[in-house]
Amino acid sequence: MTAPLQSDTVLLPERIANLLGLSGVLGDVVGGLLGAFLIANLLLVQTAVAGPWAKRKITAAFTDRIAVNRIGPFGLLIIVADAVRLLSKELVVPEHVDRPAWDLGPIVIPFSALLGFAVIPMGSGIHLADPETGLAFAFAAASIASLGLVMMGYASNNKYSLLGGLRAIAANLAYEIPLIITAASVVIFTGSLQMSEIVAAQTEPLLTVAGVTIPQWFAFVNPFAFVLFVVANLAEVGRNPFDIPEAPTEIVAGYQTEYSSVLFVLIYLGEFIHIFLGGAIAATLFLGGPAGPGPESLGFIWFVAKIWAFYFFTQWMRSAIPRLRVDQFLDVGWKGMLVLSFANLVLTAIIVGVIA
Amino acid sequence: MSEWIAIGALALVAVGIPLGMMAASAILRPSVPEQGKSATYESGEIPTGSARVQFNIQYYMVALLFVVFDIETVLIFPWTVIYRSALSQGASLATVLLPMLVFIGVLVVGLVWAWRNGAVEWVKSPLAKRRKTERQDA
Repeated sequence: MTAPLQSDTVLLPERIANLLGLSGVLGDVVGGLLGAFLIANLLLVQTAVAGPWAKRKITAAFTDRIAVNRIGPFGLLIIVADAVRLLSKELVVPEHVDRPAWDLGPIVIPFSALLGFAVIPMGSGIHLADPETGLAFAFAAASIASLGLVMMGYASNNKYSLLGGLRAIAANLAYEIPLIITAASVVIFTGSLQMSEIVAAQTEPLLTVAGVTIPQWFAFVNPFAFVLFVVANLAEVGRNPFDIPEAPTEIVAGYQTEYSSVLFVLIYLGEFIHIFLGGAIAATLFLGGPAGPGPESLGFIWFVAKIWAFYFFTQWMRSAIPRLRVDQFLDVGWKGMLVLSFANLVLTAIIVGVIA
Repeated sequence: MSEWIAIGALALVAVGIPLGMMAASAILRPSVPEQGKSATYESGEIPTGSARVQFNIQYYMVALLFVVFDIETVLIFPWTVIYRSALSQGASLATVLLPMLVFIGVLVVGLVWAWRNGAVEWVKSPLAKRRKTERQDA
């Protein structure tokens, strides 16, 4: 494996600092803040499109209905209308809620999902930070979300919320390990946790079929791991068939039952960014990150297409697949996914060892 | 170092955006406190007691197992990072792969033991079991 060129990866903060003519610590701080602001806003825009508009349109298409088509072209201005509507709702604080935790929970969720994007290479030079432990950091940041879910579930003083919070922990317990072990099987190929090196390891061609070159994306190298990762990822972001933490037909809305107004918006915002983060980690590990046909400057377009493909997949599952019962949910995680992910890791290690 | 400054900057922005939205909402939203509005939702009924109750969470043993496996992933990651480069530098398969296979094997034996002892089963409470048999009898 050839060592990737370190010199041509200029990160976003450095680029901004150079543009402004700043250097040293001041350049780092200003560039970092501006870059972070840019990345957060890119995600907010995508969430705004995904939440009030695309979700309704996709669900409507699956159930043969017409959705949001009154305001603006294709109903797109519903995004503005919904933003104003949701932010101007009264905030009802239920009796005897655990006050600081009840307010902090909804902040933790978008915080954790946004923080995970710090290490994701988004193509076209949009890459905030590239520490050597990038992959571990992305998983660590994404896991903070379950702390927020537990805070909301416990602080709400509602039995449904409490059950939802406990189910969220059960989901994390059962599917976090398959997710990380499957990611570790990719690290065997790359030999690095650094996101830029994981992307660089996937640039070489795998094989050429009828003049079409298939790149060495790990989804093609190890499709079994890709399927495992996507399934575990669905459970991590709490979408069908693994949406038992919310389970609207069983426990009302789980941990978010008692939330209204801006706090409800924050929870939903966090969940959508979390889905995008799940898609972004899957794209970086298995789909070559921002790689795609055309010049390198188009990378961001490909990256967005990949994370939207994952978002579309979650919505497809939501419309098509029934929910597992909570005991089946733990069974699938501990008796199925865990065993399969370890089998995948050991087999990958043996095959790589025998070939190399 | 500069990359951790950038990550810290994103952490600041990621807290600032929710706080900004909360501030905007605080300006926009009305406040009409009414009696009964602030009751917690319990399917339209008057809530019975608080939610601070003790009950069987039914996956306690699984949570203990999780700690074991989570620490194990921490130990597996460094091995995956060096695995390929160690092989290409001429280390034999027996020295690189075998210890990890033994390590995972020990864990698998532990998992099999826990599985056979019912630790990964969804625990049904004695009360629920009794109720179910009563219903079958009736």
